[in-house]
Amino acid sequence: MPEWKPEILRRLALLRLGPTREAEIVDELSQHLEDRYQELLSSGQSDDAAFRTSLEELKDEHLLARGLERVEQDASRDPIVPGTARSNAFAGLLQDIRYAFRTLRKSPGFAAVALLTVALGIGANTAIFTVIDSVLLKALPVDHPEQLVLLTNPDEQSRAIGFNDGVRDLLTYPEFQDIAQNNGVFSGVLAASSYTSSIPTAIDGSGESMGAASAEVALVSGSYFSVLGVDPILGRTFGTEVDKLRDANPVAVISYGFWHTRFAGARDVIGRKLRVLRTTYTVVGVTPPQFHGETVGANPEVFVPLSMQTEISPGRDYLSPETNHFSKTEWLQVIGRLKPGVTLAQARAAITVEFQQMMRAETAGMSAHDKQRFMMQTLAVRDGSRGASTLRADFGKPLQILMAVVGLILLIACANIANILLARAAARQKEIAVRVALGAARVRLVRQMLTESVLLAAIGGAIGLLFATWAEVALLRMVSAGSSQVPLNLHPNGNILAFTLGVSVLTGILFGLAPALRATRVDLNSVLKAAGRGFSGTTSRPGRMPIGKVLVVAQVALSLLLLVVAGLFVRSFRNLSRTNLGYDRAHIVQFETNAVTYGYQRADVIPLYSQILERLRAIPGVRGASLSDNGLLSGTDSQDPFTLEGQGKARDDEEVRYDWVGPGFFGASGIPILEGRDIGPQDSGNGQRSGVINETFARKFFSHANPIGQRVTVRDSDGSFDFVIVGVAADSKHASVRENPFPRFYTPFFNPVGKTGPTYATFIVRTFGSPDGVTSSIRAAVKGVAANLPPITTETMNQQLADSLATDRMITELSGAFGALAVILVCIGLYGIMAYAVSSRTSEIGSRMALGAQRQNVLWLILRESLLLVCVGVLIGVPVVFAVGKWISSLLFGVTAADPLAIALAAVLMFLVGIVACYVPARRAMRVDPIVALRYE
Amino acid sequence: MDTTPLRTEWKKGSAEMLILSLVEARPRHGYEISKLIEQRSEGAVRFYVASLYPLLYRLEKRGWIHGRWVEKSGQRRRRYYRVTSQGRKVLASQRRGWQVFVNAINRITEAENA
Repeated sequence: MPEWKPEILRRLALLRLGPTREAEIVDELSQHLEDRYQELLSSGQSDDAAFRTSLEELKDEHLLARGLERVEQDASRDPIVPGTARSNAFAGLLQDIRYAFRTLRKSPGFAAVALLTVALGIGANTAIFTVIDSVLLKALPVDHPEQLVLLTNPDEQSRAIGFNDGVRDLLTYPEFQDIAQNNGVFSGVLAASSYTSSIPTAIDGSGESMGAASAEVALVSGSYFSVLGVDPILGRTFGTEVDKLRDANPVAVISYGFWHTRFAGARDVIGRKLRVLRTTYTVVGVTPPQFHGETVGANPEVFVPLSMQTEISPGRDYLSPETNHFSKTEWLQVIGRLKPGVTLAQARAAITVEFQQMMRAETAGMSAHDKQRFMMQTLAVRDGSRGASTLRADFGKPLQILMAVVGLILLIACANIANILLARAAARQKEIAVRVALGAARVRLVRQMLTESVLLAAIGGAIGLLFATWAEVALLRMVSAGSSQVPLNLHPNGNILAFTLGVSVLTGILFGLAPALRATRVDLNSVLKAAGRGFSGTTSRPGRMPIGKVLVVAQVALSLLLLVVAGLFVRSFRNLSRTNLGYDRAHIVQFETNAVTYGYQRADVIPLYSQILERLRAIPGVRGASLSDNGLLSGTDSQDPFTLEGQGKARDDEEVRYDWVGPGFFGASGIPILEGRDIGPQDSGNGQRSGVINETFARKFFSHANPIGQRVTVRDSDGSFDFVIVGVAADSKHASVRENPFPRFYTPFFNPVGKTGPTYATFIVRTFGSPDGVTSSIRAAVKGVAANLPPITTETMNQQLADSLATDRMITELSGAFGALAVILVCIGLYGIMAYAVSSRTSEIGSRMALGAQRQNVLWLILRESLLLVCVGVLIGVPVVFAVGKWISSLLFGVTAADPLAIALAAVLMFLVGIVACYVPARRAMRVDPIVALRYE
Repeated sequence: MDTTPLRTEWKKGSAEMLILSLVEARPRHGYEISKLIEQRSEGAVRFYVASLYPLLYRLEKRGWIHGRWVEKSGQRRRRYYRVTSQGRKVLASQRRGWQVFVNAINRITEAENA
């Protein structure tokens, strides 16, 4: 029979058809020629003549190709033969993707496990990254945020009266005015109070009673909205006209959220009246929904002009220039918008000079010493595109650590999937060998397998994005820490989608590359000859560590790191929550109030507070009640320079903290008096002031002398005052759990210092039983004495402690959860490796047992291998722990990063994992029947 | 067979219709189609491999005919083509057009002869 194929192929050569299509055409045409040939033969022609006549059907060399050219050009959609060489890369890619889909569908179990693993890993990464993006990275939702420049410390929210040499955190109102008027680098400068205040409000004509609802009020300069470039969605904003006259512009711009919650989104809100404290404001505009002011994490609801400051905080003037240059009120965030063409460096240079001139002008008449100190003040000029933030300082480091933790989790997950893929690659070795034998290039095969893993990761990433949206809700709740919801915009944006896509592709390549390279390094002869015999898929060349085991060792090392970190945070958190605060925290409940804010005269404050204390002490179940200026664990503290009698020199280099406390403060809070006496009723009035110092104060400044009866002079913003020490109290934690004992002194609240006297107070009530039982009585007692005060909010010391440790709890819980996840992943990884090892060594185990090995020997054989892997992993992991420990040490309390207990526990846990993971494979190995195993060979 | 330019044009216009008609009743393979055309035209029309198969593939690509490999015992596999429903519609309209054309030609040529 003549051979038609070469003739046809020669004529098709130019078309470069796909192999399958080409084969089909050759088949069909050969059949035609064969039919013709047979017919000619049967009509009596000779072989030779019949052959030549038949070939004439193909006509000249090019006719067939020309005829087929147009038809076949884009019709050559081949069934997929992966791994074959293609000329069109893109068509090849689509083909690879289709093939990858089919492969995944064929093994739904593997696909499900791998997808879930990837989705969890990528979901956790996306969730943390989303929070990082909005807290640390995202620019303010304003016009051209890149042109904004901060002249103040974005992480500072406070009002400080006094003086600090060095870089200034915040600016005063006169300083802001000076800079706004005298600079050549900004097209505009804005100022805003660095903190918002929760202030009682009522909508006029709504029947609301004053104080039923409060609002977060922000004081902002007239230039605020124009400099930020924020246009109202309703009405108008205000301009610099409001800065001109004090207390003369009761206008308010409200936030979108406030408009919806308090005005139900009414269109006629413009022109409505809103009472804030004692002043009625006209609502002139509503800001866009995405705008939450210049401070990320803050939630200002009502923006009023800075010129209304004394109406918002009555009795205090933060606007007028201070004659004493050492007691200025620093409270404003100041942001400038660069003129076109001006760089940050130019602005820095110009503003530094301007600030220096301002400071020099204030030094007139100062002593040389004061002058020198005063001129040490500087201004840091920094990029303001991300605005200020209430969250960056607290959550920056924890978020970075969590990002690293979830990154490690993803790596561990990758190692697991890589291991499964390696096992699958082993099972597919024949298929791959056949393809190589058919001429598939290795690069092409690797690409095909990588397509599979990247596809897997991409689908996993898409599911992960979904997981992330749930996780973000939980994270936001944690960041908000029980108080009002932090307004963070966590909607997926370009950054986040790009991050997820990038991580997915990287993940796919990471877990797919090693298996793909390993799988395609096939020895054709041995694989094809082995014809269905078992072969070692996860072992490479003899003498080298199998890649699967390397992956497990890496997993163990990374998990150890995560476990140690989790262990450290758990221990640190235990220390924080069990730390001895120095007072009776289980029985203390606190509440704050400020009578002046609610219309009481300054002169009435002390009598009012005394009356409240009397009522509180009369409540059944109350063991004691007192008050102080700063309260316990409130985060505020006071500090001033002081002089000890007879020692002359001012100790302004020493950190000494103080508080004003009511009668019976130490008894009421449970802080032991070690020597002398508590502050008592006899210390009220204007007589000789008494004071109590703490242990650290006594130790530091009266190491050998009895402090009782000694006199201390304190220089504060209003001048100076002195007190005589009447008692020594034990050390206690006042501002934060983390603080080290400071030297402290306490002077009587009812013998006020300075010209203004107290306005604000934190009442402390100590109960015999649970403090929760008396809160309603406390509220009633306050209402009975001070009807004008809004209902008070009480908080037990334990709640307050929990609030102040919210960040620590978040990082502890998350790192614990991720540590547990890491353990589970390692367990699965080890199990996979050990199960594979047992199944590939079945015959060896059978032989050993046939030769007399006991079950215990077999058990040890398997266990030893697993424990060896863990051991190597732990040995690699421990130095890594030491290396990264320093990074987290600033977040730890009462435990060092190289804590031997945490490391030992983590290592023991890893060995337990090693035992648990090989339990099932080891049992299977012990039950190997020698006869069956040998027959298996 | 020798083809003059005139014949080539004539064949092109009608070739599609010829193939569609031949696979209308039942599926046929390529050799069978070429034999039938040759036989029924008594040798006046012939398709060679080099022109028949490109045409078949084109018709298949347009969705007018559909080819299927069929294996019968003891034989090599052959590809059988059948007309699709779309192909039937095309065939019907081509037949009508052809009829109109032939009638017109007839009327012209008969008038000359008369």
